[in-house]
Amino acid sequence: MNFDIQNIGSFKIGGIEVWITETQLSTWIIMGLLITFALVIRVKLNKFKDVPGGLQNIAEMLVETFDKFVKDSAGDKLMFLGNWYFMVFAFVLLSNISGLFFLRPPTADWTMTFGLALVSFILIQSMGIRFRKKQFFKDLISPNFIFLPLNIIGEFARPISLSFRLFGNILSGTILLSMIYSLAPVFLRVLFPAALHFYFDLFAGVLQAYVFTVLSLSFIGVSAAVSD
Amino acid sequence: MDPNLMGTLASVMSASAIGAAIAVLAGSFTAIGQGNIASRAIESIARQPEAKGSISTTMYIGLGMAETGGIYGLVIAFMLLFANPLVNRFIEVAGLGG
Repeated sequence: MNFDIQNIGSFKIGGIEVWITETQLSTWIIMGLLITFALVIRVKLNKFKDVPGGLQNIAEMLVETFDKFVKDSAGDKLMFLGNWYFMVFAFVLLSNISGLFFLRPPTADWTMTFGLALVSFILIQSMGIRFRKKQFFKDLISPNFIFLPLNIIGEFARPISLSFRLFGNILSGTILLSMIYSLAPVFLRVLFPAALHFYFDLFAGVLQAYVFTVLSLSFIGVSAAVSD
Repeated sequence: MDPNLMGTLASVMSASAIGAAIAVLAGSFTAIGQGNIASRAIESIARQPEAKGSISTTMYIGLGMAETGGIYGLVIAFMLLFANPLVNRFIEVAGLGG
């Protein structure tokens, strides 16, 4: 029963020891998969046809669905965020379900989810400043300047709650499953965990990837919306 | 090790475990809130079946938001069980660490 983040090996660069952890290994595997998929599509679809077929259909469907999703949750003027959040969605989704393929999910490591949420935080603030300009700073001291610390704490609570939500869901699934594998008698290890894998890895994984993306997008949308 | 210190260490560890169990109880209130969200969503879908898509999308977002409180309790429980801040502090104060 061991669900700590294991170290795989280490190497030295100029006297500083750099550790390779399980999180990094599975991150690189998932990154490799996504990059290969992107390259295959890029090479195969060198010439886009007017009438799509086969692989082009799939690629167009994915991109169009996600663009519509961004439009619905963030708004028209923030469509350029779709590029980044499509990547985040694909990465988080593959990370969450990577527990099915004997990898330790990278999202069960708080550093990973906090990194993703930090980007969302920076985007929330910068889009707020870009689209609301002075109103952004006025809203920080609304309804009264006494509320300034409260509002600032509220802003900083967002990336923390975003990252903890994803991290807690995936880590609890990982821990529960490894407990069941180590504590259950042998005859229960065959079919019984399949249902739990379905719930914790597939259902919760897909749902949390969706919730992370849609919450980030709607926070940015709210932050960038010009109110009267 | 001094048996007296060992007894104190054991009580600090058990207090950590009990604290973790209490922290996880935060999930019960989350469950009540999530049940409320789901029941209201079902009511509104029954009233307006054609708005099922947008209602369920909003419901999932609401479920995700409501989950945060329970997740905070869970994270505190993980910290108490696996990062052991109280036990480490005790070992440091008592000078047990090598």
